[in-house]
Amino acid sequence: MRPGLRGAISGIVAAGSGIAAAELLAAAIRPGAGPLVMVGGAVIDATPTALKEFAVRELGTSDKPVLLAVIGGGVAGLAAITGVAATRRRAAIPVGTGLLGAVGVAAALSRPAATLLDAVPALLAAVLAGLSLWWLLRQRGRAATTVPDDGVDRRLVLRLSLLAAGAGAMQAAGMTVSGQRENAAGRSREAIRLPAAADPARQLPTGVAAEFTTPSGTFYRVDTALNVPRVDPSAWRLRIHGMVGREVELSFADLLQRPLIERDITLNCVSNEVGGPYVGTARWLGVPLAALLREVGVQPGADQIVARSVEGMTIGTPVVTALDGRDTMLALGMNGEPLPLEHGFPVRMLTPGLYGYAGACKWVTELELTTFDQFDAYWVKRGWGSQGTVKTASRIDKPKPFDRMAAGTVTVAGVAWAQRRGIQAVEISVDGGPWAPAELLPTASADTWTQWRFSWQATGGPHSLAVRATDRDGAVQPETRAAPFPDGATGWHTISVTVA
Amino acid sequence: MRATKFTALAAATVFAISLTACGSDSGDSSGDTGAAAPMPTTAATSMAPSMGTDMVNFGPGCAAVPADPANAGSFEAMGKVPVATAASGNPLLSTLVTAVKKAGLVDSLNSADGITVFAPTNDAFAEIPKTDLDKVLADKKTLTSVLTYHVVPGKLAPADLAGTHTTLQGEQVTVTGSGENFMVGGAASVVCGNVQTANANVYIIDSVLMPKS
Repeated sequence: MRPGLRGAISGIVAAGSGIAAAELLAAAIRPGAGPLVMVGGAVIDATPTALKEFAVRELGTSDKPVLLAVIGGGVAGLAAITGVAATRRRAAIPVGTGLLGAVGVAAALSRPAATLLDAVPALLAAVLAGLSLWWLLRQRGRAATTVPDDGVDRRLVLRLSLLAAGAGAMQAAGMTVSGQRENAAGRSREAIRLPAAADPARQLPTGVAAEFTTPSGTFYRVDTALNVPRVDPSAWRLRIHGMVGREVELSFADLLQRPLIERDITLNCVSNEVGGPYVGTARWLGVPLAALLREVGVQPGADQIVARSVEGMTIGTPVVTALDGRDTMLALGMNGEPLPLEHGFPVRMLTPGLYGYAGACKWVTELELTTFDQFDAYWVKRGWGSQGTVKTASRIDKPKPFDRMAAGTVTVAGVAWAQRRGIQAVEISVDGGPWAPAELLPTASADTWTQWRFSWQATGGPHSLAVRATDRDGAVQPETRAAPFPDGATGWHTISVTVA
Repeated sequence: MRATKFTALAAATVFAISLTACGSDSGDSSGDTGAAAPMPTTAATSMAPSMGTDMVNFGPGCAAVPADPANAGSFEAMGKVPVATAASGNPLLSTLVTAVKKAGLVDSLNSADGITVFAPTNDAFAEIPKTDLDKVLADKKTLTSVLTYHVVPGKLAPADLAGTHTTLQGEQVTVTGSGENFMVGGAASVVCGNVQTANANVYIIDSVLMPKS
């Protein structure tokens, strides 16, 4: 085997074993701090917009795997060069692996919310890669004299095989560890027995239709988490700080010991189009935020609660909406169970009357009392409104758009919502004609949606059906079309159907 | 040569390691929030659930679609919103959007449960003599008939596109072709296909389809 080839292979295998060990260590002590993922994240952050556009255009949604493959190729290339150089000068080993390590450490420390611990896997990878390469090439001189005629250095092959096997084993172990960790959050969730509410929800009134409560499994989910955070509730803490009299840190057990409230609350997303699906009603169990805030003492002037999630999302909620008597809570339970992982387990915020982006931080771990002047939360930085008050809206659920039906009596049905204010009336217009009142079904509270239905005497031909709601302040839902950006869509949901 | 094999083996080992180490972001399990957090911020001036699709659009006309993910007409932005909203962000489809608004079909298209839309470009509408086009735009019933003739229930993937489909207008439309070359209704070519929106697959076509009735 030529020295150059031997060096290249040795370099690649040495780097591979170092990285495998680092990924195992990361899986064990610091999930998410694996060096390759760290470098990937740093590359994404540092990539100029034009290049990102190119990647998205040319690669579509496979841009991430391609990026990671390119990083893997880059690492392999650098490792091969290091190996080749090391066959000539041993000093190349610390230089090359040091360079790899430095890139990994720099990437780790550049991540938001980085700690020194995040740099440890990359350091380990560099040290192990260096030692492995040194071991592979150690007896180069003697090996050169014993290379058999077929050109293969058996000792080197044996060592390469051992290292590759070791790397494979560590890789497998790392995946097992991270798999167990991921399952642990699910298991600990299943093990949780939520206490009964000190202040339970009222029974739903008779006459509520079946779809009143949205099952957790079909409840809409809008967030930026590509991977659902998996939080160990025994390690979870909530820190309340900032403009407070007394900073506190609470554990999940601390929350469970406080008197809990249970409420039916409708939650909706500001990005919902007119007639869109991002709205649902669930029975939530949680700790009232008002009492907590009174205990820590909100300083005068603080008008914003910035809730931070474990993955760094920030949601800004007006302080007044936590203290004005509404059921703003730190929710622990949804529809009789601990929060599902994708709905914020173990704890999320919930603010009746505010869109989710302004009042419902999932996987919350920090509440900072501050002002709107001082801090723009994640979506506010991106131009969305800072207050997030829910607009009155209504939706036709039956029939579906473009449905075909027989002439005669057709039941038109749907929901309307104006959390905090409540729904006073819902009206239907057929083909742009006069508004006729729909029947309102009983509802749980002003914080939940109101189901409605309307008996339509359908005649043959194509028809359009429009709906509008009036809140209990008497305000009629505006006809003017507004897009969801920046503070919620407006307009009357209008659908086309055909009567045979 | 054995040495070549070893090179391949070693390289394959390292690549397998590097890929599986990061493979967790393709599934539903992982805790690597460090890398996941910044991704949506590259494009997200809007909020929407991630689609988790790896379906990629195809066709020569795709090059005319804005590339900046922050642009409402880009593929990335269109993937996050329902179909009428998606089309309204795309400058290639502004005539279609005008027609959809005139017919009062915006909400119906946006809140339909999964549809396929053949979307004629502005150039396709421009081929219709202006007096004829204005007449159709002014006649809501005819306009609705023409537009719903461009919509098929269900999201058709490219593999399922060829064949005869009953449109929402009621009449059938036949798609021929395969791979990345399709003809719709015999006359219209798909110039950019399999464009994903939140509730519809869109195939941009170069000619307006006309129902018989």
